[in-house]
Amino acid sequence: MKNVIEVKNLTKEYKELKAVDNLSFAVQEGEILGLLGPNGSGKSTTINCILSLLNFSEGSIKIFGKEMKPDAYDIKKDIGVVFQDVAVFEELSVYDNIDYFCGLYIKDKRVRKKYVEEAIQLVGLEEFKNFFPKKLSGGLLRRLNIACGIAHKPKLIFLDEPTVAVDPQSRNNILDGIKMLRDRGATIIYTTHYMEEVEILCDRVIILDKGKIIASGTNAEVKALASIEEKVSVEAIDLDKKYIDEIKKFKNVDEVIYNNNILFIRYKKGKNNLDTLLDYLKEEHIKYNKIYSERPTLNDVFLELTGKELRD
Amino acid sequence: MTVFRTFLKVLNKCKTPIIMYTVFLIFFGGFNIQTSDNSTNFTASKPDILIINKDCEKGITKNLIHYIEKNSNIIDIENKEEKINDALFYRDVNYIIYIPDHFREDFLNHKNPKIEVKSTGDYQASLAEMMLERYMKIANTYNKNLSSEKKIIKNIDDTLSKQAKVEITSKLDTDHLEKATFYYNFTNYCLLAGCIYVICLILSSFKNEHIQKRTIISSMNYKEYNRKLLLSNSLFSIVLWLFYVLLSFILLGNIMFTLHGLIYIINSFVFTLCALTLAFLLGNLVSNKNAINGIVNVIALGSSFLCGAFVPMEYLPNSVLTIAHILPSYWFIKTNELLKTIESFNLETIKPIILNMAVIVIFTIIFVVITNIISSKKRKIN
Repeated sequence: MKNVIEVKNLTKEYKELKAVDNLSFAVQEGEILGLLGPNGSGKSTTINCILSLLNFSEGSIKIFGKEMKPDAYDIKKDIGVVFQDVAVFEELSVYDNIDYFCGLYIKDKRVRKKYVEEAIQLVGLEEFKNFFPKKLSGGLLRRLNIACGIAHKPKLIFLDEPTVAVDPQSRNNILDGIKMLRDRGATIIYTTHYMEEVEILCDRVIILDKGKIIASGTNAEVKALASIEEKVSVEAIDLDKKYIDEIKKFKNVDEVIYNNNILFIRYKKGKNNLDTLLDYLKEEHIKYNKIYSERPTLNDVFLELTGKELRD
Repeated sequence: MTVFRTFLKVLNKCKTPIIMYTVFLIFFGGFNIQTSDNSTNFTASKPDILIINKDCEKGITKNLIHYIEKNSNIIDIENKEEKINDALFYRDVNYIIYIPDHFREDFLNHKNPKIEVKSTGDYQASLAEMMLERYMKIANTYNKNLSSEKKIIKNIDDTLSKQAKVEITSKLDTDHLEKATFYYNFTNYCLLAGCIYVICLILSSFKNEHIQKRTIISSMNYKEYNRKLLLSNSLFSIVLWLFYVLLSFILLGNIMFTLHGLIYIINSFVFTLCALTLAFLLGNLVSNKNAINGIVNVIALGSSFLCGAFVPMEYLPNSVLTIAHILPSYWFIKTNELLKTIESFNLETIKPIILNMAVIVIFTIIFVVITNIISSKKRKIN
């Protein structure tokens, strides 16, 4: 697979603060790369540097094998960007907005018309194409924002938190649209705070903190970095302290928390942890309503590596 | 075409405030033109005079009274001191002449009879005083040299009947030039306000931070994009200028078909280009649509007042005019004011006009340079 983006030793400094610190990574053709990290971790700075919206102190950036510069219009013609903030003209209808942004790339009127119609279809705005942005709900507005960024059929797409504050219907529509773009062969850089979206969409993830890569790889590879294997929650039981102390002594148990009638157990590596717990509860005649067992999430990995939640 | 087409669509969306603004400006401009009285023609005025004659109405006394009657409005008031004072107080009369008893006799005997007067002290009273002094000076001159009363009166009449013929050689149509100057001075506000309001409104959409970010990362050359935007705004400014020029032909008529009219038009065109670049600069600085009205008021209204668009320059204090030098409006209005005094165009009379226009062109270049600097700085987020 060809590398679409190659970032080498990228460093961006603001006086004494290093927003991006010696960052190196590559994005392969046709993959969806999830760029994760809490606010201020350097995600947006990295993207802005890649797009030549920001000067950087050191390093090099290549896109499609060529050096990315502010006037590299031959590279820019194949890039689409959907920023977190909605960037549309209030004075133009849905159709005219998409047509305008597509027109910045595509001069041929006939081709542009076809592309605009396809973009409207992709984000499911067929019924709203004559509406003005003020008349659209938050979710529809986000869909319009995406359509404006991808109408010219770019080969490389940057999606910066495109599903923030949208209704579930619009979120599903947006995620389906992103999958369709990937199926068409587009390479996508996706930043988000929603772990479930990353798990559904991304082939590979990079987790950033303080401008550095703290983990990268496929979802499974990154999750394997977590020291825990399983998280179990037991609902609505009345436990004495002696039972909690007993459970703490179980094999592979890392941490036990009992709060508001919910028992929360984190297990380190190992198998049959849930079976052991269920057997113990049965033996001791301890009543319970529901039991949940979860695999570690990316957020758990992040929490372990940095001591912070991804959404901090 | 994408940029221009979108420019027109955004302009179309803003049409209601733009039309309202233009109608408002035309109404006040047109109304002021029609109601302004800038006439420079003069008619002689006659003071109101009361003559109280204690002498006989014969000879030189009769001649004096006749002369005053001819050149003033004689007021008849009962010869009571109280009523006379009241008339003077209420300005029913400007000047009162008391011809003393034996005036004729004393005059002919060279006894210098004294004529008492009462006056309101205003300019009409001064006019009456000048009239009386003139008569008495001439009468005394002839009285010294002639012995016959008849001859004295005849010579006085001959002298007073002689009138100096004053001919105004200027062919300037001052009334219409005054109106044209007033109109084009007012366009200072119309052009500035129109350009700033519309261009800032449109640029606030195009230069919206997020839209601009999307434009910068697009494959359209950013300089070309800015050039297209400037061209679209230029087209609007020229249409606005043509509209006001056309309106001047309707409101001012024939004067616009003269060389004066042509220079008013050229001057306003140069100023329009300057207003365009200033508006483009402000549009690059202002992103808040709510601030645009305030900016129009501060810049367009402020410079119009400071530079004499509404109040003639001659009424403005020197300190204000000194400050006004740093504004392009001053040089635009200065040319308009100069134009109404120029009778014939030659190198000497046209030179100050060209210099004023050159100053406006320099302002235009400065605004373009500053806009370019700001635009290229905004392109990169450091």
